[in-house]
Amino acid sequence: MPELGRAALVVTLGLSLYAVVAGAYAARYRRRRLALSAQNALLGAFGATLVASALLLAALVRNDFSFVYAAAHTSRDLPTGYTISAFWGGQEGSLLLWLLILTGYAATAVLLNRRSARDIVVWVVPVLGGVAVFFAFLLVAVASPFATQAAPLDGRGLNPSLQNPYMMAHPPLLYLGFVGLTVPFAFAVGAMLARRSDERWIVATRRWTLVAWTSLGIGQLLGAHWAYEEVGWGGYYAWDPVENAALMPWLAATAFLHSVMIQEKRGMLKVWNVLLVLLAFSLSLFGTFLTRSGIVSSIHSFTQSSIGPWFLAFICIVVLGSLALLFARLPLLRAQTRLESLVSREATFLYNNLLLVALTLTILWGVAYPILHELVYGEQRLVGQGYYNFFVRVFGLPLLLLMGIGPLVAWRRASLRGLALTFAWPLGVAVATGLLLLPFGAGSSIPGLIAYSFAAFVLASIALEFARGTRARRALSGGSWPRAFSDLVARNRRRYGGYVVHAAVVLLAIGVAGSSAYDTVSERQLARGEALAVGDYRLTYERLEEREAANATEVRAHLRVERDGEELGTVAAGKNAYAAERQVTNEVGIRSDLATGEDLFVIAEQVNADGTVYFRVFVKPLVNLIWLAGLVFLLGAVVALWPDAREQRRLAVRYARAGVAQET
Amino acid sequence: MARPQTAGPRGRRSPARLVIALSVAATLAVFLLYTSIAGGGTPMIQPSELDGRTERVSLAGHVVGSPRGDAHAAGLRFQLRDIRGGKTERVSVLYKGSVPDLFRTGRDIVVDGRLRNGTFVAVPGTLITKCPSKYAPEPSES
Repeated sequence: MPELGRAALVVTLGLSLYAVVAGAYAARYRRRRLALSAQNALLGAFGATLVASALLLAALVRNDFSFVYAAAHTSRDLPTGYTISAFWGGQEGSLLLWLLILTGYAATAVLLNRRSARDIVVWVVPVLGGVAVFFAFLLVAVASPFATQAAPLDGRGLNPSLQNPYMMAHPPLLYLGFVGLTVPFAFAVGAMLARRSDERWIVATRRWTLVAWTSLGIGQLLGAHWAYEEVGWGGYYAWDPVENAALMPWLAATAFLHSVMIQEKRGMLKVWNVLLVLLAFSLSLFGTFLTRSGIVSSIHSFTQSSIGPWFLAFICIVVLGSLALLFARLPLLRAQTRLESLVSREATFLYNNLLLVALTLTILWGVAYPILHELVYGEQRLVGQGYYNFFVRVFGLPLLLLMGIGPLVAWRRASLRGLALTFAWPLGVAVATGLLLLPFGAGSSIPGLIAYSFAAFVLASIALEFARGTRARRALSGGSWPRAFSDLVARNRRRYGGYVVHAAVVLLAIGVAGSSAYDTVSERQLARGEALAVGDYRLTYERLEEREAANATEVRAHLRVERDGEELGTVAAGKNAYAAERQVTNEVGIRSDLATGEDLFVIAEQVNADGTVYFRVFVKPLVNLIWLAGLVFLLGAVVALWPDAREQRRLAVRYARAGVAQET
Repeated sequence: MARPQTAGPRGRRSPARLVIALSVAATLAVFLLYTSIAGGGTPMIQPSELDGRTERVSLAGHVVGSPRGDAHAAGLRFQLRDIRGGKTERVSVLYKGSVPDLFRTGRDIVVDGRLRNGTFVAVPGTLITKCPSKYAPEPSES
C-alpha cells in the first residue's frame, strides 16, 4: 500500500510537470490539442492525489502503524473521528491535504472556465501546474507521508489539545482558504501572460476569492473559539506568529475583494489588484513557511523541519517572477478612468485598501522583525502584544468607521452637502450611543468607547441602506414590506450580502472591544466552602470530582454561581490527564449569559493534593458576539455567493464583449 | 508599496497619487513614533547569553532538574539551560502566576523577566511552554 501511495504522488508530480511544460508550450505556440492535454493532465493530477490521500486516510483509520505517519499521529484508543483529523495533524499530511485541495480547485477552475475564458485558461494551466509541482515535489522528495517502518504495538497518539471537534474543522478550513487564494493568483498571472487587460480574470475568480476568504475567516474564528475553550488562558487571540500567518492573507484578500469592485465598475486600480492578489497568495505561502520552518519563536513552535528553505525559495520565485511579469505588462494595464473626487465611493474604497494593506504590512513587520533583527544584530528581538494592539487600533478603528461611510457615498463624485444629509442619522445614533454608554462606565477605555460609537454608526448606516432600498423597491413594484425586502436582496445579492458581512465585522468589533477593554479578573486559592467575588458574581467552591473517561482521567471542581444574590446554578472547571500522551490539559468552565452575551470564565489553575484549588476567574462582557459574528459572516457570504442568473447573463455579455474586442 | 495606475488617458495627475503619498507618509510617521516611544521590542536570548545582563529579556530555555515550590504562593523555582548548542550554563528562575499545562522537566519554555542577584526573576504570568509541535506529539522518551 505505501508503495502505491508513493507511486500516486510521483504520478501527480509527473502530470503537474507536464501541465507546466506542455501547457506553456501550447499557450505560446497556440497548440489547441496540446493545451487540452495539459488541462487533462491537471485533472489527472487531482485523481492521483485523491488516490494517495485515500490510502493515507485508510492507513490512519485502520491503525496501520507500519506507516510512520499513522504511528506518530494516532493510537489504538483514539476515537475514529480524530484518526481522520490526524490526516492534517502532522506536516506530511498537511502538505498532502494542501496538494489535494490545490489540484481539486485547479481541476474545477479549469473545467468551469475553459470554454468561456479559453484564451486565459491556457495560461492559467501552467501556473496552477507550477504550484502543484512544488507541493508534489515536497511530498515525493522531502516529506513523504508514506514512509514505513516495522509496526510498533501502539501509536503515539494525537496531541490531546487537538482532540477537539474544532480541530477537525479549523485546519481544513484554513487550508481551503490558503489554497483557494491560488486560483485568483493563477488567473491574474494567466491573464497577464495572455496579454489580456480586461476584467475577466477578476469576474471568473470572484467566487473563488469569496470562498477562500470565507473559509479563512470562519477557520480563524473557529481557531479563536478553540483557543478560548480549550487552551484556556482567558483569551482567544494572542498575536502569535502562527495566528498572524492566517490573519495576514485574510486582510489582503479583504482589500482585494473591495478593490476589484473598482476595477469592474470603473476600470481603475488594475496594477493594484494584481499586486493585492500577489500579496494575498504569497502571504499564504509565507504563513505556511512560518508555521513549518520554526524560524520565528512561537507558542506553537513546530518541529524544526527541512521544508523551510524550500518554501522560502518558492516564495522568492513566485514574488520576483510575478513582479517581473507585472512590470513587463505595465503598458497594458493602464486605467481607463481616473479618480474624479476624493469624496466618492471609489475614494473610500481606496482609503479602505490603504488601511487594510497598512495593517497587513505592520503585522508582517511584527512577525518578520525577530528574523530581521537576528540577521543584522545576531540576536532575536520580539515585538510584544502592545505593538499589535496599538496598530490594530490606529488602523482598525478608521476602517470600522469607513465601513459605515463607504456604502452611503455616491460613485464618481459626491457633494458634501448631500453627505451631511445622508449621514445625519447614523452620526446622531453614534453620538447618542457614546453618550448613553458613558454612565455605564464605558469611559474607562477610550478606544473601547470609540469602537462602540463607530459600531453604532456603521450599524445605523447599514440599517439605513436596507430601509432605503426596501422602500424604493416597494415604491417600484408594490407588494408587502417583507416581499420588497427579499426582492431587494435577491436582486443585489453581492451588495446586500456584503452589508451583512459588514454587520458581522461590527459584531466582531463590539465583542472584541467588550471582552478586551472591559473585562474583569480575579484569582485566589480556595478551600471547599470558600467563595470568591468577581464583578457582580460570587462563586463558591463546593466539591471536587474525579472520573475515569475513555482515554483520560478527569478532575473537576464544581462551583456554585450567584449574581446579585440570585442563584445561577453551577460551573465546573478542572483538568484532564491523558495517559497515552502523558499530558495534562486545562478544562475551563464557561457560563454564557445569552441575554447579555457575557461569559463567566473559570480556570482551575492548580489542583492541590489537599483538595484546595487555585482559581482564576474572568468576566468577559459581550464576548459571545464574536461567535455570533461568525454566523452572521457566514450568512452574508452565502448571500453574496448564491448563484444568480442575472449576474450570469451580465457575465456572458461581458465575456462576449471581451471576446469581440480580442478578435479585432 | 507600488502605486495603482490612476493617471487618466489624458495623462493628468490624479488626486489618488496625493492620497497614497500622504497616507504612506502618515503610516511611516505613526510607525516611527511608535517604535521610538515603545522601543524595539524585547531581546530573546538563551540562558548562556544572560551573563550579567539586567535589562528585561525573554529567556528561552530547557527546563532541567525538578521544579519546586508553588507558583501561586512563594513562587515556583526551576532551572533553565540552553535549548540548542552544547553550553551547560544554568540559570535559576523564580516564577509566580499561571503555569501552562505543558510545563514540566524536559520542556522548552519562554519566560520574560530580568536578572536580580543571580536569580532570573520572572514577570508574573509570562511563562509560555514551547510545545514541541502543536501538531506532533513529543518523541517517546524511551
